[in-house]
Amino acid sequence: MEAFKLMRELKTNFEQESIYLPREKGLDLLETTLENDKQISARCRDAKVEDLWSLTSFFGYSTQTFVQAVNLLDRFLAMMKIQPKHLSCIAISCLHIAAKLVEEECNISSSHDLIRISQCKFTISDLNRMEKIISEKLNFQCKAITAFTFLQLYHEMTILHTSERKTSLSLDKLEAQLKACLCRIVFSKAKPSVLALSLLAQEIEAIQSVDMLEISQCIQRHLKIADGELFYWRELVAKCMTDYSSPECSKPDNKKLVWILSRRTAQNLHSSYYSVPELPTIPEGGWDESGSEDSCEDMSCGEDSLSSGEDSLSSDTEAACAPPHFHQRISAPHSQGDSARLGAQCHF
Amino acid sequence: MSSTATSPPSADKVDGFSRKSVRKAKQKRSQSSSQFRSQGKPIELTPLPLLKDVPGAEQPELFLQKLQQCCTLFDFMDTLSDLKMKEYKRSTLNELVDYVTVSRGYLTEQAYPEVVKMVSYNIFRTLPPSDSNEFDPEEDEPTLEASWPHLQLVYEFFIRFLESQEFQPSIAKKYIDQKFVLQLLELFDSEDPRERDYLKTVLHRIYGKFLGLRAFIRKQINNIFLRFVYETEHFNGVAELLEILGSIINGFALPLKAEHKQFLVKVLIPLHTVRSLSLFHAQLAYCIVQFLEKDPVLTEPVIRGLLKFWPKTCSQKEVMFLGELEEILDVIEPTQFVKIQELLFKQISRCVSSPHFQVAERTLYYWNNEYIMSLIEENSSVILPIMFASLYRISKEHWNPAIVALVYNVLKAFMEMNSVLFDELTATYKSDRQREKKKEKEREELWKMLEDLELKKGLQNDGIIPT
Repeated sequence: MEAFKLMRELKTNFEQESIYLPREKGLDLLETTLENDKQISARCRDAKVEDLWSLTSFFGYSTQTFVQAVNLLDRFLAMMKIQPKHLSCIAISCLHIAAKLVEEECNISSSHDLIRISQCKFTISDLNRMEKIISEKLNFQCKAITAFTFLQLYHEMTILHTSERKTSLSLDKLEAQLKACLCRIVFSKAKPSVLALSLLAQEIEAIQSVDMLEISQCIQRHLKIADGELFYWRELVAKCMTDYSSPECSKPDNKKLVWILSRRTAQNLHSSYYSVPELPTIPEGGWDESGSEDSCEDMSCGEDSLSSGEDSLSSDTEAACAPPHFHQRISAPHSQGDSARLGAQCHF
Repeated sequence: MSSTATSPPSADKVDGFSRKSVRKAKQKRSQSSSQFRSQGKPIELTPLPLLKDVPGAEQPELFLQKLQQCCTLFDFMDTLSDLKMKEYKRSTLNELVDYVTVSRGYLTEQAYPEVVKMVSYNIFRTLPPSDSNEFDPEEDEPTLEASWPHLQLVYEFFIRFLESQEFQPSIAKKYIDQKFVLQLLELFDSEDPRERDYLKTVLHRIYGKFLGLRAFIRKQINNIFLRFVYETEHFNGVAELLEILGSIINGFALPLKAEHKQFLVKVLIPLHTVRSLSLFHAQLAYCIVQFLEKDPVLTEPVIRGLLKFWPKTCSQKEVMFLGELEEILDVIEPTQFVKIQELLFKQISRCVSSPHFQVAERTLYYWNNEYIMSLIEENSSVILPIMFASLYRISKEHWNPAIVALVYNVLKAFMEMNSVLFDELTATYKSDRQREKKKEKEREELWKMLEDLELKKGLQNDGIIPT
């Protein structure tokens, strides 16, 4: 009766999900705001969510923590007017709250580490205060029903009912895709159940399983999700996936990251190469360095070349050294016999 | 040495220190046997008139006479002897330096042999042995040359002579020959850094002007280095010779001759293995990078060579290697990079996980180098899998918090570079870790079961639990 249990859980979650949706008007406002000092824009929020993902990954938190944190963040941003300088603090607070909700106690990193690693400027007491404020504003309804919740359910149900290999539908992959979507504010407007279903459908289409397709359609009918709604979100998801898997990498903005080095290492940087004072360059001549010839002035094939230990006479020096009478012999008219002898003599 | 009287044993000698040995210890240790050039009697030199006081026609002759006088050597170990004459020689040398710098038409053919003779007499000597057997160039103070007041001027004079407009290599080469150069090279082992600095300039000028000696000089330097690397590991002038080589390498014609490539692979790379690398590393790295700028194809053998000789027990050296490697990567061509990237990043991955924080830190700082980052970006699909495991592991396990913070920067950079691959690797890593944990748990449970079994059996045997 596993299937029945799953269905019931699905139904319960579905009924309650709207409680945890961020206010749509608030999200719209974010999307339309231009970036400036006083207000947060959608781009700010997206960049912050990416940072949260980095931190999640770094601390080894689960995807559920991340998704919860983003949900808290969106809900808070949608209802309050926030100054950009507070955004870091809010985001980290959300992550910390989420971690405490989801992770085992032993795996939760301390506030101190969170602040240090994320290179933020605020203090631990700031963080604690912010956490209280956020919890209050959200009426302490912190643990939300998220797209991840649905995704897990859908995945389980599909695996249960399909005749295909269990491993063909990867939850890890779906998680990663969900994460990529959440980095864009537009997807926060979607109902979690619909977003999750879009991702599922997208992936099933990719692996082309007729079996699983039927199951997803079944889920859609069961939850009474309109075709139009599903189609709309599926398109957006598809576009997001194209960007996500494109080979073009977004250039890491290293300037934002602070590289703190110990004094000793900083002293040694670039201390070697650039400190070498240069003696004037000595150009290599073409004809002087072969080693088999020595002096350039006189082509004396004498002790010089021999003493350098190289193979002695090159052809040039040979010509210069040839005794004068040899030349005379070559130029003189000769008979057959002579040429034969000359020929023999030409061999060195 | 005056004879010591054999005094009857007394209370002083009971502890074994005879007066003779005590006196010896108090004496200043003499520098070298060759420094003892004093003839035992005071030296007398007839003062000659100044060159500027003499009509132009007589100057060349006077010049030769002064050179002749400067061939006289003084004992500087004995600080009190021949003070007047030492001063005379010093001022004569000074005068000669000026004369060579400003004069015209002074350099006759006869001058050449005299100049070379004077210089040879003064500088060619057996170098004093080190104060201690274990002279550590990095730690100890060098023993300075006592006769430097004269010696410096001789070097100064020689350099001006070589650089003079009237200098003609074709005449000089009869006197500045291979034997001269060989003796000059031996002097590079001097402990006095000032002397080595002058020698460096002298040899540089000689190399520049005497084309016939170039091959010989290069060969001899090779010999010195090879002896240094494979036999003695002692030679004080490596840095200076490398500086000269730097200017030579800079001037290589393209395409590079096989001889030079051999030199790079057989001499320069093995030089990295020497213990005292820190004394000449800057110059060595400079030579290497110059080679690579001349012929980028040499990059692969160079990096392979460095990786082969990568220090395994000396962290200070490892940091030097990392610095040099970064300089090489600064000038590397992308096609060459692709050839060695796997081998290279396997080593970098090991360095990053090094428990020595300076090594790890220096390696992680590569990611702050824009050019290196661009190369990594282009090849992230190859590099990321190699680096991933160690980066992830040290983010959890390294003892140094500063390193952990730097690792975050690097991981973030990778994340942004290639999200898909990063996520895949994260997932694989996590599942691997989970599998390991599961196995670990199973193993523990098995042991516990066995323990319980043993215990139960034991209790049964003792009759506590009925069978």
